[in-house]
Amino acid sequence: MKPLKIFRAHSKWIEISWPKEISAEILREQLAVRSFLEAEYGEGIKEIRMGFNTLSLKLSIPISPSDAQDLLAEIKELAVAHVSKFSKLWEIPVCYAPNFGKDLGKLAALHGLSETEVVQLHYEKDYLLHFYGFLPGFMYLGGLDERLVTPRKKTPDRFMPAGTVAIGGQQTGIYPMDSPGGWYAIGRTPMSMFDINRSPDHMPKIGDTVRFVPITVEEFTEMKEKTVTTL
Amino acid sequence: MIKSPAYVHFLQAGLMTSVQDWARQEMADFGVPYSGVMDRLSMVLVNYLLQNPQNAAVLEMSQTGPEMLFEMPTRIAFAGAIADIYHNDKPVKLGTIIDIDEGDRVIVKRFRRRQWLYMGIQGGFETDVVSGSRSWYKGITPQEKVEKGDNLCYLYEERYFPPPPANSRIKDSWYRQSEIMVHPGPEWEMLPRLSQNRIIHKSFTISETVNRMAYQLVEPIYNSLESILTAAVYPGTVQLTPGGNLIVLMRDAQVTGGYPRILQVENNSLSILSQKRPGDKIKFSFVKEELT
Repeated sequence: MKPLKIFRAHSKWIEISWPKEISAEILREQLAVRSFLEAEYGEGIKEIRMGFNTLSLKLSIPISPSDAQDLLAEIKELAVAHVSKFSKLWEIPVCYAPNFGKDLGKLAALHGLSETEVVQLHYEKDYLLHFYGFLPGFMYLGGLDERLVTPRKKTPDRFMPAGTVAIGGQQTGIYPMDSPGGWYAIGRTPMSMFDINRSPDHMPKIGDTVRFVPITVEEFTEMKEKTVTTL
Repeated sequence: MIKSPAYVHFLQAGLMTSVQDWARQEMADFGVPYSGVMDRLSMVLVNYLLQNPQNAAVLEMSQTGPEMLFEMPTRIAFAGAIADIYHNDKPVKLGTIIDIDEGDRVIVKRFRRRQWLYMGIQGGFETDVVSGSRSWYKGITPQEKVEKGDNLCYLYEERYFPPPPANSRIKDSWYRQSEIMVHPGPEWEMLPRLSQNRIIHKSFTISETVNRMAYQLVEPIYNSLESILTAAVYPGTVQLTPGGNLIVLMRDAQVTGGYPRILQVENNSLSILSQKRPGDKIKFSFVKEELT
């Protein structure tokens, strides 16, 4: 385990952090630490929230500065459990047609690639779900091909329709609901990505793998018309 | 005792009227904000006055209030912002219990001081519970705010009401204080001493950008910090933007953010801060932790 440090804001909020990078290795360590903490200290923990290189803990039982240091030492001794083999694969159909991927041309030009190359680079890779944030059901996915890394737009677009698949910085993601957004839209999924009334069992979990499957406009329309378009 | 559903009918909705309770905390893992009342002290107070469960859902209002018609008898109480409130044309005071009869009308007019007004009702509002909370939030609950013509359910119950509890006065001095208690955030130590001193020793002004998600402060801070990888944020987290502005995240805050988190506002102080209006001054002070 390579967590760097533990930060204690106050007696009920601590944060464990790893080196500043987005990687599958750190995600595996975070998941191992999370399950260890839940098993060992479940009663004293109110909520665990993940970032790319952080594990934030809201506590129900106060922790002293020295106990926090002891906890870090204990975590450093842990072996990484093989959590990756339990992770599930989620296939998400995406239509990369120009009317959905309205920034595809712009993004391709920025990287000196053809639109077809951009699309291929996007769906050929598998992505890891690091955590949810920004909007309910918005997945922070790691694993974007380096050739597609694109700084966010200076001025966000006022309207990204629900289902928009986009690229921003080192990440790719799907807007679960209509929202303003500063990423480059490259496609759209007909699937409903988030419904608060859906059981969490039917949603990708942190550590799961997400794969995009290209579909045609016809398939998109067909899937959209079906009553069941949840994952 | 038989409880039967009755409705508050909205003849006018007001600008930002919504149903809120304490918070929705069980879905943060999926990116769902906590939501909940901006000023918890006022919610606790109205529910205390009405002898409701502490988490009974209340009506939150801001800037322009609603006009309401009550279908059946009940009791209500107001706390929070100082506004012109009328019950059948008679002025109503904050922190008192108002007996409502069938067909009574309550109007909230001008807001004079503070930002958020709360109306508690006997037993609480009976709107949908979604993931453990009745707090309204876009995309989570069927509605985000009250619209003209809406009806909100409460339970009407014929019963003996014990006299109001003693010591039910609102402590007005809470809201006059400008000192906001904070803890250091994870990126606080990365700030140069000079900026740290500026943040702790000088006051800040609340900007015009205030809403349920965040309050932005006016005075810029020289920002030499690198951005961070997206990490957890909470209501009360104070972020420092690349442009050097301080943003205090409020109850509808996202669950994660990419700006350095320099301070964390203590819970009661966050309620007090929520009642500040644009132009009001605040000053951050560190909580002195008792060593146990």
